[in-house]
Amino acid sequence: MSFVKQAPVLLVIIPLLSALLVNILGLVNRRYCLPVAILGILGSFAASVVTLIRVIENGAISYRLGGWPPPFGIEYVIDHLNGLVLVTVSFVSLLAVIFSKESVKQEVPEKIPQFYTLFILLVTGLLGMTVTGDAFNLYVLLEISALTGYALIAMGDNRALVASFNYVILGTIGASFYLLGVGHLYIMTGSLNMADLLTILPGLYSLNAVFIALLLILVGIWIKMAFFPLHGWLPNAYTYAPSAAGCLVAPLVTKVSVYIMIRIMLSVFSPLYVYSIIGLSETIVWMSVIAIISGSILALAQTDFKKMLTYLIVAEVGYMVGGAWLASAAGLTGAILHIVNDALMTLCLFLFAGIVIYKKGGHQLQDLAGLYKKMPVTMAAFTVGALSMIGVPPTAGFFSKWYLILGAIDAGKYHFMAALLVSSLINAILFFKVIEIAYFEPKVDHHGGETEKVIIDEAPLTMLVPLIIVALSLIVIGLYSGDIITNIIQHSVPAGLL
Amino acid sequence: MQSIISSYNYWIYILLMMIGLYAMLAKNNLVKKVIGMSIFQTAIIVFYVSTGAKEHATIPIIAHGHGAVEAAVDVAHYANPLPHVLMLTAIVVSVGTLGVALAICLGIHRRYNSLEEDEIQEQL
Amino acid sequence: MIWQLDLSILTLIVICAFATIMVKDLLSAAIIFGAYSFLMCLLWTEMGAVDVAFTEASVGAGVSTVLFFAAVHQTTRRVRTRKSGRMLAKVFALMAALLTGLVLIIAETDFPGFASPFTPASLHLSPYYITQSLHDTNVPNIVTSVLADYRGFDTMFETAVIFTAGLAVIAILRRYKRDDRCDLPEPYVISEGYPDTIIRFIARQLAPFIQLFALYVVAHGHHSPGGGFQGGVILGASFILLAISYDSRMIIGIMSERLNILLGNIGVLIYAGIGFLCLLLGANFLDYSVLSKVLPATDKIMARSHGMLGIEIGVAIAVMAIVISIYLNIISHGKYDKG
Repeated sequence: MSFVKQAPVLLVIIPLLSALLVNILGLVNRRYCLPVAILGILGSFAASVVTLIRVIENGAISYRLGGWPPPFGIEYVIDHLNGLVLVTVSFVSLLAVIFSKESVKQEVPEKIPQFYTLFILLVTGLLGMTVTGDAFNLYVLLEISALTGYALIAMGDNRALVASFNYVILGTIGASFYLLGVGHLYIMTGSLNMADLLTILPGLYSLNAVFIALLLILVGIWIKMAFFPLHGWLPNAYTYAPSAAGCLVAPLVTKVSVYIMIRIMLSVFSPLYVYSIIGLSETIVWMSVIAIISGSILALAQTDFKKMLTYLIVAEVGYMVGGAWLASAAGLTGAILHIVNDALMTLCLFLFAGIVIYKKGGHQLQDLAGLYKKMPVTMAAFTVGALSMIGVPPTAGFFSKWYLILGAIDAGKYHFMAALLVSSLINAILFFKVIEIAYFEPKVDHHGGETEKVIIDEAPLTMLVPLIIVALSLIVIGLYSGDIITNIIQHSVPAGLL
Repeated sequence: MQSIISSYNYWIYILLMMIGLYAMLAKNNLVKKVIGMSIFQTAIIVFYVSTGAKEHATIPIIAHGHGAVEAAVDVAHYANPLPHVLMLTAIVVSVGTLGVALAICLGIHRRYNSLEEDEIQEQL
Repeated sequence: MIWQLDLSILTLIVICAFATIMVKDLLSAAIIFGAYSFLMCLLWTEMGAVDVAFTEASVGAGVSTVLFFAAVHQTTRRVRTRKSGRMLAKVFALMAALLTGLVLIIAETDFPGFASPFTPASLHLSPYYITQSLHDTNVPNIVTSVLADYRGFDTMFETAVIFTAGLAVIAILRRYKRDDRCDLPEPYVISEGYPDTIIRFIARQLAPFIQLFALYVVAHGHHSPGGGFQGGVILGASFILLAISYDSRMIIGIMSERLNILLGNIGVLIYAGIGFLCLLLGANFLDYSVLSKVLPATDKIMARSHGMLGIEIGVAIAVMAIVISIYLNIISHGKYDKG
């Protein structure tokens, strides 16, 4: 067995096996859970990196599960697009699992083995969705990540159960619509393999059933990624989830759904079909304009810090959907780069929220007051995340926004460009408000005296280090985004686009 | 007549889907919503299994005898097995979702002593 | 395939679906839903999907209904009948349902005729499975060979889904302390002290036969409808039968919580482990043919057949343990004692 050759499947199997191991060891002693979980995700991260390097060197890889040739068996296909997403997913989950050590002890002390097993199974599901080249296999893994998501969210505080129930209902509608869309493709073509569908479908492009199949799949995935107005389940679910679970679910689930949308658009249907034949671009870009504006405005209206972040996610989803449907090469590049950047930015902000909850026990904006003096390092990292969210160079957020705006200009969709600028402005107002509360507003003490010495009281290292790493990576990715685009993303943008 | 026979299965699945979707969105009682969810999922199973049905075909198990000479298998003789396989998976997924949904209902009932959505909303 | 039969079953199904949604008593709704599932099972037998029918009979009509009963038993039967509010939600739901229906009807006009042997679905992939299954894997039940071999990777995650569901139920409901976050009184006085001797006697006599049948279903899945899922569910059901007719404590005595979790794990581990063994032996994941290197006196084709049996056993163990675990958690409201 060679690790490099088998890496495409190992990156899913290692976490699966380690999830089982965590659960068994959890029966013996809870202290074993975390190290095994970290090892499992680390293994998967290594396999993803190896695979991505192989893709960059030699082009797309196909892996036959069970040794059966593609349309008959299940196939894994890794190209530049999902190689990048794989590395992002496993990197984010690695940081999230390290972070979880203290907050899990505080928030779900009784159910540590179950928590970690579900946590790793969620990672497995997300990685499996990303790597697969089979439309039905994707559904099964979609359900794994959905079920684990419901359970992880339901483990949160009192209101989490109701939020989770709504998520179950809407999530099931979404997954079922996806399944139904795949069923429509199956009845029209007889195949489930994405590459096979890509070759058969052009003969059927004129049929309504094929268009409706795309529509069903899109609506299903939009529910999963909380694209406005289908976002109803997201804010409460992510706000009341345990913070360690939030740090995994919030950055990744929506982003992987965006990836799936792009994958379905490019590798099942073709750019020709989605951009030219059906003429949906205009409508969907308008929808994303509405999503961006309303997400930003709703975020502005919140007094709960974590809830504010969840509405920002809704706005960011609008960025990526709009970018993908601009029908321009720069827009698609921006959308793909934004999947990576947004995963890291959201992780950064949720890690910060997790630290605040750990230290202060709450996630209202007022809980942030005076934090700059007490936790300078944490706040520095948060500031980097906030700047990236606003889109200030040289942080990563600037570059993806730049490409999205370029794409909007190329495609002549100036309303989308306007929405991006307005949303950046709102983000700026929003985060300066937060920074103002945390920096200038003095903490109300019982003495009220300024003479009192402020003691630096940082979070434990297992929480602080992931936050610092993600903040640094935002800057590093910003600096190297040119390389990422020329070496990786450019290869996944179809040649026919402008 | 011929056109009715050739598509009533699909009409019925659409009807079931509409019933399920309506129940999921409109019902006030959480368990009713869960029942709607199950109907919604079975509707999709009806759709898939219908795609696999074949006239004059038997179940997809090849007639065989020990030591008998293998005759060539006639494709038209057996129903399409692939949708059946997919739907085995879907049934198992739907029972998993059902278990989780009911568990959440129980948890909600434990905390709010009600299964009616509006009564729970009032308590929030 | 008899279309008159098909149509009448479908009509009954629609009636049942309406009734389940409309009826005001949750217990009745659960019973009608059981009937609905059972009609589904008849429909699928009639369409030639025997494996699906078997699964629906054990999972849909069996376990789902029991879970509904348990949940209703632990909460309330009552559906409040106040006719106020929710008009907006109802109108919205109706619109959504009608819109979906309309869109699907439009798509339906493009479908190839129902049950025609010349649809793309029956011409593209399925001929390969039908003609090659026996030749490639030596398993005459094509559904089993596609499920466990050609698309075995799906099935592994299907088992993982069930495992996840079991864990999720534990994570949501399980209470380790007596009064964890719960100030409410017990919602129901469970009708204890009503031991019905006849029911208990029959259940006790029946259980071993049910278990034996389940083992047969698992082992004979290569040649007849059935396999790991159905067998596992039936095994689990035999324990649930005892738990209903006696008391959950008795079952917990045999299958403790730790044992249940462990078995669930082991089941999935057997599946993934066999796949991993294939990797170690130098083939791709789940490529059973390479197992002929370690199994005595097997060629590549028989190795596939044996590999499938191995994973079916794993599936059965996992499904059995998880079904029991979900039931016990729901019926005891997470306290894992009585019910």
